[in-house]
Amino acid sequence: MTARRPLAGLAADLARLDAEELPFLVQLDVRIGTGAATTLGFPLDAMGFPLEPNTTASTSWRDTLWLGPDEWLVVAESDQPELLAEQLEEELGRALARVHHSIVDVSAARAILDLRGPARLERLAIACPLDLHPRSWGPGRCAQTVFGAAPVLLHERPDATRVFVRPSFAGYVIALLDSPV
Amino acid sequence: MTGRRLASGGSRIDRARPISVRFDGRDLEAFEGDTFASALLANGVVGGFRSPILGRPRGIVSAGAEEPNAFVAVLEPWTDVIVPATLMSAVDGLVAESRPGVGTLVETADRREPRRQHRHVETLVVGGGIAGRAAAVEAAARGDRVLLVDEGAVIDDPPTGDDVTVLPNATALGVYDAGYVVIHERTPDLERVWHVRARNVVLATGTLERPIAFAGNDVPGVMLAGSVAAYVERFGVGPGERAAVFATNDWGLGVAEVLAAAGVEVVRTIDARAGERVVAADGDGALERIVVLDAAGREGSFEADLLAVSGGWNPNLTLWRSIGGDLTYDAARSCFVPRSGPGSGPAWLSVAGAAAGEVPESEPLWVVAEGEDADKFVDLQRDQTVADVAAALGRGLRSVEHVKRATYIGTAVDQGRTSGVLAAEIVNHLLGEDPGAQGPSGARPPYAPVSFAALAGPFAGDRFDPARTTPMHAWHLEHGAAFEDTGQWKRPRYFAPGGEPLEEAVERECLAVRNAVGAMDASTLGKIEVVGPDAPAFLDRMYTNRMSNLAVGSIRYGVMLGLDGMVWDDGVAMRVAEDRYYVTTTSGGAANVLDRFEEWLQTEWPDLRVFCTSVTEQRAVVAMNGPRARDVLAAVGTDVDLSSETFPFMTFRDGTLAGVPARLARVSFSGELAYELHVSSWHGLAVWEAVLAAGEPFGIRPYGLEAMDVLRAEKGFFIVGQETDGTVTPADLGMDWIVNPSKGDFLGRRSLRRSDLVRPDRKQLVGLLPEDPAALLPEGAQLVLEDTGRIPMPMSGFVTSSYRSPALDRTFALGLLEAGHAMHGRTVYAPLPEGTIAAKVIPPAFYDPEGERRDG
Repeated sequence: MTARRPLAGLAADLARLDAEELPFLVQLDVRIGTGAATTLGFPLDAMGFPLEPNTTASTSWRDTLWLGPDEWLVVAESDQPELLAEQLEEELGRALARVHHSIVDVSAARAILDLRGPARLERLAIACPLDLHPRSWGPGRCAQTVFGAAPVLLHERPDATRVFVRPSFAGYVIALLDSPV
Repeated sequence: MTGRRLASGGSRIDRARPISVRFDGRDLEAFEGDTFASALLANGVVGGFRSPILGRPRGIVSAGAEEPNAFVAVLEPWTDVIVPATLMSAVDGLVAESRPGVGTLVETADRREPRRQHRHVETLVVGGGIAGRAAAVEAAARGDRVLLVDEGAVIDDPPTGDDVTVLPNATALGVYDAGYVVIHERTPDLERVWHVRARNVVLATGTLERPIAFAGNDVPGVMLAGSVAAYVERFGVGPGERAAVFATNDWGLGVAEVLAAAGVEVVRTIDARAGERVVAADGDGALERIVVLDAAGREGSFEADLLAVSGGWNPNLTLWRSIGGDLTYDAARSCFVPRSGPGSGPAWLSVAGAAAGEVPESEPLWVVAEGEDADKFVDLQRDQTVADVAAALGRGLRSVEHVKRATYIGTAVDQGRTSGVLAAEIVNHLLGEDPGAQGPSGARPPYAPVSFAALAGPFAGDRFDPARTTPMHAWHLEHGAAFEDTGQWKRPRYFAPGGEPLEEAVERECLAVRNAVGAMDASTLGKIEVVGPDAPAFLDRMYTNRMSNLAVGSIRYGVMLGLDGMVWDDGVAMRVAEDRYYVTTTSGGAANVLDRFEEWLQTEWPDLRVFCTSVTEQRAVVAMNGPRARDVLAAVGTDVDLSSETFPFMTFRDGTLAGVPARLARVSFSGELAYELHVSSWHGLAVWEAVLAAGEPFGIRPYGLEAMDVLRAEKGFFIVGQETDGTVTPADLGMDWIVNPSKGDFLGRRSLRRSDLVRPDRKQLVGLLPEDPAALLPEGAQLVLEDTGRIPMPMSGFVTSSYRSPALDRTFALGLLEAGHAMHGRTVYAPLPEGTIAAKVIPPAFYDPEGERRDG
């Protein structure tokens, strides 16, 4: 049985927008009790969980996005995403065993697309109220925000803005991205 | 009429580039750089407009946003309902019609698809005059990102810089909390609304010249003096050939020199400071004669076709006042200026230049005593005169706010830019108060009219509201699904691949589930992972029943209440591990339930170690119902033992299905043997197709919400929002069993003990069987105990759900009926225009009341 790319029906629109779908990435929502780093001295940054709000930490194969004071999204790529998700869940679970935490596989809960091109941030500014100017936004930054009426998560990368969107909202988000700038 | 273009001059026009525009069917020659108003004046169109109420001839008064008369609708090459001709650029081929201050919807679509843009800056400057440009340059020099906007088409000598944006044709509609400013940009080629967040906002909104109320002051040819100068200097247009100037200040009188220098004959200047005044302006459709009293009181009259009037200068403070800025009266300048200091306007907002009060000194003269008050116009857009203001005061009104509401002065399209302060001062004058005793009435956004289409921007058509779709949506489209909106979700209502009517399709789908098997896309179910050592205690507080003693691998149905004790949402909880539950909610309630969980965890019980994560879109769900459901699962292929002994009702198993990880849950919303198949949404479509393919030999059919509704109603299962409306308790639904009052506190528990919630005559859920098995009760029909035939009748309840049941081969309904639980066996009536339907009241369980079918 084959998995279906969440944005399979939108390929033509993506091409027109200079965007590309990144299907089947592993996404784990990790929650860690807020006292872990401060009170218990748990070395969260050393473990790859960025502590500065709205920043990301990246290794060669995985990004960790700060979503909130006690919430991160671990994003990783693999040919066998379901297997990697399980392995990562176990590995993180072991590492966090001593603190109150939760790990939930949300790999299929958001579709992912990379928006490219120099005008991509202006395009996002059609309906995203955040300040996406280089003064406050750039590679290594992430933010949970909205694009019009759709919740989105943005992750700025060196050559693209990665947009995480609930698959059910993808058609709306892409139609809105495609409106005149 | 003759052309009035001067031989030379006009800083904004390009005489080498002639253009042609059309106004009310008449072709006019103009130049690039003209506004539509300057094009009209250049062609000698002095009148051409009508006042909205009295229908009096009116002409162009100003050269800017304060224009009260010269409104047009644009028909080509773009469309606009109503815009001031003074702010609109003239472009070749422009076709416009006059409008009497009231727009008419234009039917054709605007070629300018409205756009929308967010922008963040350190400094936003509103107004591109000298002060505004200076503020922009200063801000840019300290490294700010700067946005400079001006409502006019041209910003002279615009500041430049990497982070400096200059936007002409852009009106600040409103200034809101925390430096949020909405800006409407409108050019012949595009329309766009900017949503700007600025750390500092500088209002350099300039000044508006004030008219004087004298008899005949609305005759075309009576104009504001500064605007007359602007037409001469910027557009090389002399608005008249024999001009007079009437002013209370040096600036106004100076316009006489501007006119004379341009070759316009100036026949008279009238200096109000010397006691001179205009007592009447007359003309048939345009100014012909002016009557003047000199300082000695001697009357004289002379011919003129242009009267330039300056009653002083008002700082333009609409935006300042709309965000809480106060005014103070400046007696030397006879105008209101911004009051600085605490409590007046937000700290991030400042006012600069003329708007801050840097305007010429002026004598106070609001109204000329001589002449009929009913001929002295205050608000040209509302056709209101000094007599109307006096009448309002005569009715006992004293506040300018009341006078505004009695006369509508200041409420028209021009937002009272010329009339607001004038009206206030006339009120002061008529009440015998000092000038400035009362200021102008309050100001609110928008500063200028804006269309809904512009504000909506791209949020129109398909982009108006998200239409959320499931992973199986493409399949539904291909197989004739008729869709129903559930919140933002598009869900199949029924499948009619051959275009069958709803009744036929639903009957087929219901019979498939009752006699064989059916599959429904239930992916929209809300799903939440509740994780942590305190998850059991937490869920005990959220649901009316106990969730903490649920065994791992088991499922329990649960109801959530509002704090008022009313049914709020429902779903099931599956215990995945000691410290992990997988909870489902209604499709429409998913976000609300998660919000409620988070709210209680974050604000009331931060001590509970629980994390909640939405997995609604992580998992697609196929609900498979029917006696052959187990056979279909076996045919699809699973490693889960499906026998009822090892996998009983209200339990779930994790395993594989069709080769992918799956959670199989034995819950039933139809009363039949049923499985919910929860899989990664990546596999949702594939599993859906696999189930339908494997089910083919067993007679499987996809079914939609309508069949689901019939099936659950046959079992008497309620739906939140259908049988409940925020006034229904679990006991009203006959579900006392779901409430466990001994387990400790839970949301809504206290309210359930209120005397009103235990009254025996509350409306309670009942089943209804029409005496005529073919009669279908309309949902919402009122129920009475006795059909007296006389309206009104005491109403005892209403129908909440009503269907034709293929399984029962008759109609049936659910309803809420007063004391319904004690009414079983009674007959109630639904009096309807087409005849009364009688129905027997029974317990709400029509099909398999013993529940014998759930194991297949």
